[in-house]
Amino acid sequence: MAAQASGSFLSTLLAGAAPGGARQWLKQLRANALERANALSAPTTRDEDWRFTDLTPLYRLALHAPGESGAVDVEAHRIAEAGSRLVFVNGAFREDLSEGIGGSGLEVVRLRGEFADAAWLSAHLGQIAAFAQDAFVAANTAAMSDAVAVRVPRGVTIDKPLHCLFLNTEANAVSHPRLLVVAESGSDMLFVEDHIGTVDGAYCANAVVEIAVAENAEVRHVRLQREGKAAYHIGTSAASVARDGRYRCWSVAMGARLSRHNANVRQDGEGTHFEMDGLALLGTRQLADTHSFIDHARAHGTSRQMHKCVVADGAHAVFNGRILVREGAQQTNSTQESRNLLLSDKARVDTKPQLEIFADDVKCAHGATVGQLEAEEVFYLRSRGLAEPEARNLLTYAFAADMVVRIPVPSVVRALQARIIERTGGPEIP
Amino acid sequence: MSGALQTLIDQPYKHGFVTDIETDTVPKGLNEDVIRLISRKKNEPDWLLEFRLSAYRHWLTMSEPEWPNVHYPAIDFQDISYYSAPKAKKKLASMDEVDPELKRTFEKLGVPLHEQAALAGVAVDVIFDSVSVTTTYKKKLADVGVIFCSFSEAVHEYPELVKKYLGTVVPPSDNFYAALNSAVFTDGSFCFIPKGVKCPMELSTYFRINTQESGQFERTLIVAEEGAQVSYLEGCTAPKFDTNQLHAAVVELVALDNADIKYSTVQNWYAGDENGVGGIYNFVTKRGLCQGVNSKISWTQVETGSAITWKYPSCVLLGDNSVGEFYSVALTNHKQQADTGTKMIHVGRNTRSTIISKGISAGESNNSYRGLVKIGPKAEGARNFSQCDSMLIGSRCGANTFPYIQVQNNSAKVEHEATTSKIGEDQLFYFASRGIDAEEAVSMIINGFVKDVFTQLPMEFAVEAGRLLGLKLEGSVG
Repeated sequence: MAAQASGSFLSTLLAGAAPGGARQWLKQLRANALERANALSAPTTRDEDWRFTDLTPLYRLALHAPGESGAVDVEAHRIAEAGSRLVFVNGAFREDLSEGIGGSGLEVVRLRGEFADAAWLSAHLGQIAAFAQDAFVAANTAAMSDAVAVRVPRGVTIDKPLHCLFLNTEANAVSHPRLLVVAESGSDMLFVEDHIGTVDGAYCANAVVEIAVAENAEVRHVRLQREGKAAYHIGTSAASVARDGRYRCWSVAMGARLSRHNANVRQDGEGTHFEMDGLALLGTRQLADTHSFIDHARAHGTSRQMHKCVVADGAHAVFNGRILVREGAQQTNSTQESRNLLLSDKARVDTKPQLEIFADDVKCAHGATVGQLEAEEVFYLRSRGLAEPEARNLLTYAFAADMVVRIPVPSVVRALQARIIERTGGPEIP
Repeated sequence: MSGALQTLIDQPYKHGFVTDIETDTVPKGLNEDVIRLISRKKNEPDWLLEFRLSAYRHWLTMSEPEWPNVHYPAIDFQDISYYSAPKAKKKLASMDEVDPELKRTFEKLGVPLHEQAALAGVAVDVIFDSVSVTTTYKKKLADVGVIFCSFSEAVHEYPELVKKYLGTVVPPSDNFYAALNSAVFTDGSFCFIPKGVKCPMELSTYFRINTQESGQFERTLIVAEEGAQVSYLEGCTAPKFDTNQLHAAVVELVALDNADIKYSTVQNWYAGDENGVGGIYNFVTKRGLCQGVNSKISWTQVETGSAITWKYPSCVLLGDNSVGEFYSVALTNHKQQADTGTKMIHVGRNTRSTIISKGISAGESNNSYRGLVKIGPKAEGARNFSQCDSMLIGSRCGANTFPYIQVQNNSAKVEHEATTSKIGEDQLFYFASRGIDAEEAVSMIINGFVKDVFTQLPMEFAVEAGRLLGLKLEGSVG
């Protein structure tokens, strides 16, 4: 019964995914992915990876491929600091709404029709986000008729952030936005992956972002999930980092009825550095599931990860943080923390920090805590004259905002702080 | 890695020998007739046969678990003999009547039964293969009302008690191996501490697998009534064989109001040779139920043996204010695989649990901690602290941590910490500068690493366990 439902769901997901394109390699890639997508069954809670996240309500939706999006106002979603902007509406790239690419130092290729082919495209697209075992990535890869690839040339530093806005405006639509970011050796860039829903009805966004960081390059990745309140968001971000490369990711999940973020980072050379900060801010009946996978495949890698969840009402947060240190990855230094704050007696957290270590000369540590606000801290604030609700709000705000202030884009920080205050009823900030 | 460390790793199994006693073994294979035969041989009442048969029928519908992080060739459950007992002898009145061969075996293991019993004040219920041969100090225990006997004896002498508690903590349908055990278990221990009694001595059982190719299916049931208190020791060594032996035991603990059960294990079964040939498959279900208010169950385990260990001593904290504890040291070497940990299920209010797990991997072994801390929606004020540390010796072994934390109550507080490290060159250098050679330094570092757990062991066990770790790691660091 469940298998049947999920089987027919995958065909819904793939509606209109006829592998096409002028370039043979792209056609082949999509055909391979389509074959995998048809071979895999949609996950259920019987799969260990989806044990706490029940997708049955998603499978029940009658979804269709999105129609023409028409005129869309993107002004409200502008990020002040951004030097350039790529806009996708319901998964389709909108050149007319995008701006600032020329002169930004970035090369942007839209992989549609007779695009100008280049070796760096086929070398990376579909190679970082593996689709062999992941039905959603396979579906995205099969369905990507409008992927966009961004290249930062060798040695170039892009001063201003690139804003990649993924808008969803249509109820009951299923979109497969796809982005590839390639940072060549010695380059440096920051991009904001921003998922926003402007429709109250249910829809499904199945996004995949691939990031290739070459030797000694640095990519900073801000990921904001602000989907509509009835949305289903399945997102995968996969990074592959070469020798001495650095990848930092700040991820905030606050929207969607049900969201899932698979954050995979793979070490492809020695001496890499990863930082992953995550925050899930949940209320009502929301569910946010973060599965991260840090793959220390080579020696001398360092990684630091902090994931926080604030769970109110009847919401449910899931975190699964897997750190793998492969044989030979000596001198790895890796830490991971999962901090969870439960604000109501109906809220629920399932967390699993997971270490798998096959090298002996390493330092690895992880920690997890689940609890409510410390009574002593509340008492302290009350002794300073704050009423109990204010004291609680202030502490909740502090817990969450601690993650937000680390984001290196001030206007995003301010916007998120304001959203946290809305949620917590916390203090006004100057 | 230094030569010293290598020699340490390569210690041959010191307890590898076969005791030659005639055994009464049923033909290989498993079906309802075999179960009826076991039940008949043991002269069991009908309700127990029914228990076995319904477990067997359920087992047929189940499939072997594949989720543990262990790898082994498929087990042919029809290629195992499900019953093996030393040939029937008349009841023994004293130690003198015990088979001299058997006594020598225990002496080789360093367990001088009579001496230990007399000097240490320990009653040893010796399990030799599946049938209890001798039970000492029974009278002294009987004086205070403590029942400590073999499981088959309990079935005949105290059927009401056994019937009341058997399968209440680990139901026959719990998991694949528990179902198998429920169908074919041959013997084990039964322990009952009546209301308000503090058991006057530590109860101890030495398990010993003897007959080649006879799977051993032990069943242990310990019940502590209101206010009762008991400390139970289980120690294991096994002779050296080349055929893998399956061991699927079930241990059930029940603690009523204010009762306190402490269960300690030292496990040193044959782990196979350095190439991973032979060795015991240890697939055990151990669970304690803190049924009453203020009850406490504490598990301490030192796992050094078995080719494969699959074991999660757990506590179901049902009663308000009940306490669960788990202290574990798991050492794997050569090609050993261990997937072990605990489950703490908080159901009642103000329940507390502590998990301290220390894993040491050497050689090409793989050591996983897998734990679950679950706080139910009604577990107001529940508290858990977990600490799981791993140490790796050599670059070809693996250490994994899979802690599941599931919280459904916001007044609960759960903390988990885990670290992985190795014995540092700088540490060894410091010891060397103080004139302590590498081997002794390693031994001291390891002893420091596991100290939190060893202090939980009863005195006699702590000494034995310390010796065991030293033995297992002799010559393995440098």
